[in-house]
Amino acid sequence: MASGRFSRNSIAMTGAAIVALYLAVIVVAFFWVPFDPLAMDAAHALQPPSLASGHVFGTDEFGRDILSRIMRGCGVSLAISVAATALGALVGTFMGTWAGFRGGRWDHWIMRVADVLFSFPSLLLAIFVMAVLGEKSFNVVFAIGLVYIPQFARVSRGAVLAIRQADYVKAARSSGAGSGFILFRHLLPNILVPLVVQVSLSLSVAILLESALSFLGLGVQPPAPSWGNMLASARKAMVIAPWTAIYPGLAIVLLVLGFNLLGDGLRDVLDPRLRNVR
Amino acid sequence: MKEPGADTPAPPHDASLLLEVEGLTTEFRTEQGRVAAVDRVSFQLHRGETLGLVGESGSGKSVTNLSILRLVPDPPGRVVAGRVGYRGKDLRTAAEEEVRVLRGRNISMIFQDPLTSLNPVLRISTQVQEALQLHHGLGGRQARAKAVEMLRLVGIPDAERRADDYPHQFSGGMRQRVMIAMALSCNPEILIADEPTTALDVTIQAQILELIKGLSARSATAVILITHDLGVVAGMCDRVCVMYAGRIVESAGVDELFSDPLHPYTRGLLDSIPRVDRAGGGRLHSIPGSPPSLIDMPDACPFHPRCPSAMDICRRAYPPETSRRAAGSDRARTVSCWLHAEVRGGPTQREPA
Repeated sequence: MASGRFSRNSIAMTGAAIVALYLAVIVVAFFWVPFDPLAMDAAHALQPPSLASGHVFGTDEFGRDILSRIMRGCGVSLAISVAATALGALVGTFMGTWAGFRGGRWDHWIMRVADVLFSFPSLLLAIFVMAVLGEKSFNVVFAIGLVYIPQFARVSRGAVLAIRQADYVKAARSSGAGSGFILFRHLLPNILVPLVVQVSLSLSVAILLESALSFLGLGVQPPAPSWGNMLASARKAMVIAPWTAIYPGLAIVLLVLGFNLLGDGLRDVLDPRLRNVR
Repeated sequence: MKEPGADTPAPPHDASLLLEVEGLTTEFRTEQGRVAAVDRVSFQLHRGETLGLVGESGSGKSVTNLSILRLVPDPPGRVVAGRVGYRGKDLRTAAEEEVRVLRGRNISMIFQDPLTSLNPVLRISTQVQEALQLHHGLGGRQARAKAVEMLRLVGIPDAERRADDYPHQFSGGMRQRVMIAMALSCNPEILIADEPTTALDVTIQAQILELIKGLSARSATAVILITHDLGVVAGMCDRVCVMYAGRIVESAGVDELFSDPLHPYTRGLLDSIPRVDRAGGGRLHSIPGSPPSLIDMPDACPFHPRCPSAMDICRRAYPPETSRRAAGSDRARTVSCWLHAEVRGGPTQREPA
């Protein structure tokens, strides 16, 4: 079964372990962090990492504990990433399956809209949306979600096109199924594999996009911690206090790596065409 | 045996008449032009009878039946003319929703390839329940129980357990049994079987045909059997329609057709059946040539280039349909061939249009 293949796939398992670690950090940070992530302490600004002081990852230019800020920022980054991916996946998949299933004019117009969205570089599109809507966390979700809509639309449309003429779809029609029934009962389960993989890869890109927006000052607003705005404020002190940039950067890199490994692993596990490739 | 929901208001004229197809014409628009895949096809199906639809590949057998249920993909196909009379309604012009509720409940289909006709990611029980769920609102335990009962009826061993398997765990023959279970789960009045045994090996073929025959007799379901196998027709059918190039060229009771084929094409088909008892053991007979392209057909008998008894008139006009009633038979047989037209040179008989 798929679960057995998953646990035997070391790539997928590594990715899952990394993601699980971050989830654990979020839960812990919800109840406990070493220091108040917002409390400034001018006396202890830019302290290097040391176990003795309790600032394991050091402090930033306001004397705030970096580990605590990373831990709190984790929840913010993941929540935005998950919500944005969910938004993009739901809307994009609906548009794509409908376009692929109905074909003709529907297909034409839906996919042209997707093409237009696609033609913008994703960060530029996200910046544009943020500039129009204003700098709020919810708007980050919307901006990243909008970037994802055409991607999910394409993936799901392609998958539906490949199977919409399948005999079992004809058979379902001949036993009285309507379009909605065929879409949800027969088509969606069949295109789930590419979608799951796409979701997992999108989560990682969403982390990057969110960090980039926050870095540019368009995303999560200080003093609330997010990895992106931590990097932005670290820019000034980076030369004398590299730990202010290294640890938030590592946090981003490791989570993105985790989602990517998970996505690749899931594709290997779930896609029957790659099943026996070693 | 009928569900209480399947009430049957008697048709006004002939109580046993179930389905009446008249002048059904289905066109496909292609880049080369219009293709009349089904051209002025008319036939009648009576309660409980088995009608064979015979012809070469591409003769319009399948499209005819897809047209009846309005399942022809549009574009490129379109049913452009004709009437499909069923229960006082014309299925060709009825609202989509009216036709949809008939599909699977009153008229259901079995397809040619059981390997691709089942959804690979859904359990067998889920798929057999589908029609029950759609038409009778059955859900959960009840639907499952009925599905298992249907699986048992079509001879799936250990049906209770196997209902939870996926299609790839079933063999081809078993999958076709599942398809039959699906098609018959709502006790339809009409079962359309589109070459149900073509994809199966010979030993399984006989079992599947027996199953269809037995179950349809049990529930008085009328069957339209699409096939190119005259052996199957001889064993299964009451009446036969022979199709060529989108038209029905001859229709008759099965005994009449086999003992006295009128159309040269039918004769050719019958002569093409390999016979082990024929003396000499010579070469296998075949009809020379191949079916014509259906694009922009001229007004002529489409069979004339291959016909051993082609006459001048065959090249100039499509033969009228001649009907005659054999002694002792209550239903007429028809043939569209100039050899049998009562007045040569002018179509005075009823035009099939």
